[in-house]
Amino acid sequence: MDHTRETEEEALLNDIASMLAAFEKERANLIPILQMIQERHHYLSASALQMVAKHLGVSGCEVYGVATFYNQFRFYPPGKHRIRVCLGTACHLRGGDIILENFERKLGIKEAETTADREFSIDRVACVGCCALAPVAIIDDTVHGHMAPSKVEGLILGFEIEKQREKRGKQHGESKQ
Amino acid sequence: MVRLVVDNRQIETEEGATVLQACLDNGIYIPNLCYLKEMDSPPGSCRLCLVEVDGYNQPITSCTIKVKEGMIVKTNTEHVRRLQRTAFELLLSVHHVDCRRCPANRSCELQRIAKYLHLGVKLKRFEQLERRVKIVQDHPCLEYVPSRCVLCGRCIFMCQRENGQAMLSFARRGLDTVISFFGEGDKARATCGQCYACVEACPVAALLIRNAHSQ
Amino acid sequence: MNQNSKEKLNGVFASIKAEADRRFKQMKGDDRHNIFIGMATCGLASGAMEVRAAFEEALSETKVNAHIIPVGCLGHCYAEPLVIVDKPGSPPILYHDMTPGKARLLVKAFLEEGDPVFEHVLGAMEENDTIPSVLEFPRFSRENKIVMANSGVIDPEDVYQYIERGGYWALVKALTLAPEEIIEEILESGLRGRGGAGFLTGLKWRLVRDAREEDKIIICNADEGDPGAYMDRALLESNPHQVIEGIAIAAYAVGARRAIIYVRAEYPLAVKMIKNAIDQSKEIGLLGKGILGTNFDLDISVFQGSGAFVCGEETALIQSIQGKRGMPQPRPPYPSQRGLWGKPTVVNNVKSMASIPPIIEHGARWFRGIGTAKTPGTAIFSVVGNILHAGLVEIPMGVTLRVLIFDICGGIPDKKKFKAVQIGGPSGGCLPETFLDTQVDFDSLTEAGAMMGSGGMVVMDEDACMVDVARYFLDFTQKESCGKCTFCRIGTKHLLDILERITRGEGREGDIELLEDLSLDIREGSLCGLGKTAPNPVLTTVKYFRDEYEAHVREKRCPSMMCRALIAYYIDLEACARGCDACVGSCPTESIFTTEDRKKAIDQTSCVRCGECMTSCPPEYNAVRKVSPPALAPKIERPREG
Repeated sequence: MDHTRETEEEALLNDIASMLAAFEKERANLIPILQMIQERHHYLSASALQMVAKHLGVSGCEVYGVATFYNQFRFYPPGKHRIRVCLGTACHLRGGDIILENFERKLGIKEAETTADREFSIDRVACVGCCALAPVAIIDDTVHGHMAPSKVEGLILGFEIEKQREKRGKQHGESKQ
Repeated sequence: MVRLVVDNRQIETEEGATVLQACLDNGIYIPNLCYLKEMDSPPGSCRLCLVEVDGYNQPITSCTIKVKEGMIVKTNTEHVRRLQRTAFELLLSVHHVDCRRCPANRSCELQRIAKYLHLGVKLKRFEQLERRVKIVQDHPCLEYVPSRCVLCGRCIFMCQRENGQAMLSFARRGLDTVISFFGEGDKARATCGQCYACVEACPVAALLIRNAHSQ
Repeated sequence: MNQNSKEKLNGVFASIKAEADRRFKQMKGDDRHNIFIGMATCGLASGAMEVRAAFEEALSETKVNAHIIPVGCLGHCYAEPLVIVDKPGSPPILYHDMTPGKARLLVKAFLEEGDPVFEHVLGAMEENDTIPSVLEFPRFSRENKIVMANSGVIDPEDVYQYIERGGYWALVKALTLAPEEIIEEILESGLRGRGGAGFLTGLKWRLVRDAREEDKIIICNADEGDPGAYMDRALLESNPHQVIEGIAIAAYAVGARRAIIYVRAEYPLAVKMIKNAIDQSKEIGLLGKGILGTNFDLDISVFQGSGAFVCGEETALIQSIQGKRGMPQPRPPYPSQRGLWGKPTVVNNVKSMASIPPIIEHGARWFRGIGTAKTPGTAIFSVVGNILHAGLVEIPMGVTLRVLIFDICGGIPDKKKFKAVQIGGPSGGCLPETFLDTQVDFDSLTEAGAMMGSGGMVVMDEDACMVDVARYFLDFTQKESCGKCTFCRIGTKHLLDILERITRGEGREGDIELLEDLSLDIREGSLCGLGKTAPNPVLTTVKYFRDEYEAHVREKRCPSMMCRALIAYYIDLEACARGCDACVGSCPTESIFTTEDRKKAIDQTSCVRCGECMTSCPPEYNAVRKVSPPALAPKIERPREG
């Protein structure tokens, strides 16, 4: 396991190194670079931050300071499925916190955490601008409007079924060979 | 030279000086934490150095306003004191008060301000906010005690000034903000441990030379 | 830079316009049917993608010559997904709450057989003899769309559709004027910045134009962070070119060659649309080097925010573009003196920018004819919450809240009573019923204790707890505080803690007064606008709804029964139907059990008070009750196992 994590990390750093070349060594590129890494790898590892610092010729703590200021950046790998529950004003009035709570209860994790199997992570977001559909949850890139606690169960069940089907498909494929 | 009147006393100062610096130079104390004489543009973040200036309808920070000929400044109105008291109490509510065992005891800026404002160092209006942040000891020569830190940023400014590049930085945000040394193996860090300008600049002994003080 | 020759400019633009007209003619051609599908974020969230797929599938099986044109947001979010079907020989018809099934039905019944399926029609888009027009509804007729005029009716990814409707004509006109004349016109129009503070846009421009430094910069602020406000997103997704045109005019007027649009991270579609629009405009010579054959160059780039509410504040926004922590800086110096990279910088909101082209096109006098004397023009509100016709509404400044909420947006659903309206997001305030006759404009709203802010408006019915609303907003600002200054960093946390303990039923005597005192100090002592306005939700709710605070503190009771620690659900055994199980399955914590006489009861120790049982209880029994304080719920023991 540790070994695969290491190679994973190595591949990640190689990828970042090749992407960094396209960015001029200007301080103004710091946030766009961090966004690029986050976009490609979904989180910023400590060594990635160091690499960026080196590229821009600033100290590591500068980069870390900027990255930790903004909500968008994560410092650990998120789950395969990202659940984001909107807690904007309209969603709050219509029970957004109850939706968040239901996801948390169903998956046994708190907001800003990832399940042990790295399948799901939950985050709260402040308004995605779909207030007329409140309460809203975004799973991966799909916005689900008019959420209800009963829908939470259905959505997660959907993913679980899909996963099992995939697994079966794989087994099936393997047994064929 | 510019002349201004502070608390009914006429003082003189150089053009371009801030009101705060002018007052301090003339022996008029105004509580402050985040200001250093060397700063070109002070952050104005501690909100303690408030004064009333004729022409402004509200107290303003004396560190961010430049002197003007004939300016009339009051440092001790009820309004100013009310805001200073609140700011101080707020800072105290996130400060781990343990003066007896604190290395800054007697040289602490918070103690000085408390004395000046005739306030104790015990909270009355507000609850103590628990900031469960561990003491940071992963730096080769520095130690950081977040529960004492007032986030004035003087250490960062001094490091930047001394070394051209700050080797510590604010990290995270809001109430979770801390000073961070992130960057194990940073080239910059190899030179650290010579100037200790950051430690000297700290008004509350939140930054210490490692192992120099026992907890 | 001197003004450019009118003839030459018109000549260059004429060929672009001709191309737009040619394409339009082709689109409107002979027997071609056009299906416009609202595909901005809210449309997509309501299922516009599925509707589109259904149309495509149904169309592939028919001979009707029909094309699908994705458009942006009409602002009628309550009725999404929205589709306009433009069939030759019939007025364009707007269909609401579309589904794949309705899409297939429309293709067959309307496109093929000519039956417009009246039961799904919201209205015709034009006056006609056969179908009631949408203009008969106040939600349409009372609006006055200047900024959003083309939103939801044109394809945001097609620059020619904007041009065909008169787009970029204002830029052409502006380029024939001297920059000073444009600034004069904008000043004359009385346009005030739509980002919240209401500073005169023309004055800002003049300050920057007059700054000694040669190199000037324009920033368009689209870091729309107020939870509950989304007009900037809608505009960028629906008609990005109007924003670009406004930016170009601004840049020409102040003498800038670089502009940056700062878009919030949470708006991926808006980023895509604006980037695409910039590329298109560049391609046909409306941006870039030597715009329309003149010597005016402008490069517009997009900077994506990374999720920090405080970056809506202009000095923090500038820090962020420079790759720093987005912490506000003391002003002066103002950005107009020393902004991005130390250069004189105009920072204008998206709506301000989008207001520019109509003003240049129709003139300052025309603009002044809309709205009020002190605040000319229109206001865009996102009216959400407990409101029938939620969505984006563009109305002339000066309309009263009552007209906006009850006449235009249809009032409160479910026969509930109006309680308050929260205006201006976390910086704004809550106004009670007695303020319903307040006009919406910068000064009247500020006077009332609320704020125009960015135009978020949340309507609340009798079920909303005002203490909880204040707690909600403080929770937001406290989390979003940048942490730089003492009052905001620590003060908002104390406000939040006090509010939390009140909503938990642990409030103490003196808490309300402490909230007020601390709020006033934070308002005066904070460094930036975020901190200064953060206490507004607390101050206004304490002022107008003090009795609710007192009920929480003294009686441990939430009058609106919203604070979950202060309520309990129980099942009225008289009303509960023996043998019915509807609530049991709905409970996420298995807290509902069967009593000895086969009715249902709630285990208060494990109940999380989500209210699902109340929703699921069949209306003919309606047996679930909600009470506050919780002690009012009768105690029923779980029967022992076996």
